[in-house]
Amino acid sequence: MKKMTAGLVAVVVTAGLTTVPSVAAEQRGSISLSGAWAIYPLAVKWAEAFKKIHPKVNIDISAGGAGKGMADALSGAVDIGMVSREIDKTENRRGAFPIFIAKDGVFATVSDKNPAIRRILSRGVTRQAFEHAYVSGRATTWKQLAGGPAAPVHLYTRSDACGAASAFAAFLDKYKQENLKGIGVYGDPGLLEAVRRDPLGIGYNNLGFVFTGNNVVRGIEIVPIDANRNGRVDPNERIDSRDKAYQEIASGRYPGARRGFFVTKGKPNGLTREFIEFTLSEAGTRVLEDVGGYVPLSKSERSQQLGKVR
Amino acid sequence: MTIGRRLKDILAGKVMLATTLFSSGLVGIIALGLYLRARPLFAKQPISKLLLGETWLPSQGLFGMKPFIIGTVWVTVVAVIVAVPLCLLTSIFLAEYAPRKVRAVAKPLIDLLAGIPSVVYGVWGLLVVVPFVADRLGPFAVAHFKHIPYLSTEYSAGYSVLAGGLVLAIMIFPVIISVSDEVLRAVPEDFREAALGLGATKYETIRRVVVRKALPGLLAAVVLGVSRALGETMAVLMVAGNVPVAPKSVFDACYPLPALIANNYGEVMSIPLYDSALLGVALVLLIFVLVFNLAARAVFLRVLKGYHV
Repeated sequence: MKKMTAGLVAVVVTAGLTTVPSVAAEQRGSISLSGAWAIYPLAVKWAEAFKKIHPKVNIDISAGGAGKGMADALSGAVDIGMVSREIDKTENRRGAFPIFIAKDGVFATVSDKNPAIRRILSRGVTRQAFEHAYVSGRATTWKQLAGGPAAPVHLYTRSDACGAASAFAAFLDKYKQENLKGIGVYGDPGLLEAVRRDPLGIGYNNLGFVFTGNNVVRGIEIVPIDANRNGRVDPNERIDSRDKAYQEIASGRYPGARRGFFVTKGKPNGLTREFIEFTLSEAGTRVLEDVGGYVPLSKSERSQQLGKVR
Repeated sequence: MTIGRRLKDILAGKVMLATTLFSSGLVGIIALGLYLRARPLFAKQPISKLLLGETWLPSQGLFGMKPFIIGTVWVTVVAVIVAVPLCLLTSIFLAEYAPRKVRAVAKPLIDLLAGIPSVVYGVWGLLVVVPFVADRLGPFAVAHFKHIPYLSTEYSAGYSVLAGGLVLAIMIFPVIISVSDEVLRAVPEDFREAALGLGATKYETIRRVVVRKALPGLLAAVVLGVSRALGETMAVLMVAGNVPVAPKSVFDACYPLPALIANNYGEVMSIPLYDSALLGVALVLLIFVLVFNLAARAVFLRVLKGYHV
């Protein structure tokens, strides 16, 4: 409460004089962010750490989905939009300036009571098979998907417009969320629960939701993606722990990886730029690692993004 | 009269007229606003194609609303079928039979239902109703309702018209019950005494006198409930399954209009005409509710005429 009051006072005091921040003086002012649920917890931690360095800066963060973040950033309602999917061409044309800030991944999930579970874990599922199930509707049984028994596949997807569905659809081959068939469930936890309850179900979830500690959530298995289509799950394709998931996403090998962005309208400047530079710094990276659920950019990726902002 | 008092008198009337005009004109203002925003879409695609189109693929410019309109009708009808008998019997009991003490406890409990936020109904539906439909009603229907239209199914994940309808039914309980209760209690005591005096039993009195007299009011209660059901968003969205295909059975998933708006409003920026289409959907929903209310009112007036005592 005390902190909040202090923040409020800072905003009131500085409201009139934020336009020309002098470099030497202590930073004052406010930054506003809105957007993806997937990035929200990370942004909150970054903001806390940033405020420790610049106590007089007020940072206002709200979540409401990647689309809202994009819309708010482009309309100027916020300084930074949090967007957990790739940026659309039309959005680029409207002046969206994306800064790549974190890596994440979507994982196809099934119940561990799935009758074909041994086949799934030993043979994996190819991108094409996923596409046949989720988009064209040609694969309707577990036999077609993973060579198991001929039981029907129950497809689950997200009903709300979200980065996870966009990323999953994009992984299936440049599709959009609207192309995904299946029962639409609201929210990441809802989808996970639906899959856990239905032995014949399949769904997909964000990195942050499929693990408790280092293990996969009880009752759930991550479907290995047979990326090289050799008909079996290679050691790097089997993801059974959080550490393994991080490692595969960081290496760039995991096909379901996705990127998280901060989007500003045009090149960022002033306090906004300073905040973004902080998130890409060593200190910012440590914060990201502490939060969990995200994979940091490699050093060269970070310096590349920093170069883009400067 | 002093000038001050007179001025106040005139002013008071005018101010209240203005507020009344404003609030009664709101529907028009909202409809106009929606229409203006939806116009780019209506200009590009014929309304018949939008209303009767089967496919909703915004990125390909396809905005067929038919599956959603049908989905809305399905959940609402199921909710009404479940809610109306239960509510009418409850309100008759409360108004005619219940001892004062029972009424004093039951009535506030029922009214309390109206105060529960809809997202709470949604979560409850997700945790209780969806598994109930998937594990109990679904398998029962698979075994016994094979040849019954609208009830047969091969499998139900629980996310279905039925789950949506059940949650909605509970949400409209308090509306229908409290209005019906008021209406029944408004029937003058003389009617009951006359009927009882003629030798009718209590049940006969209720059925032939009280309910008949209260019929228009009871209809109004149901209409109010349906209006609420048509627009309910969050709770239905969480349990209905949101599949943009017209359902064939109550065990199929469906995608009502309000859920379509709520699910996608965040993601309209990147696709041309998408925001127009969603506001068009909102306009369709609004017209839907309006037409329903007007039709109900017309029926209502005829019933009133017929029962003029």
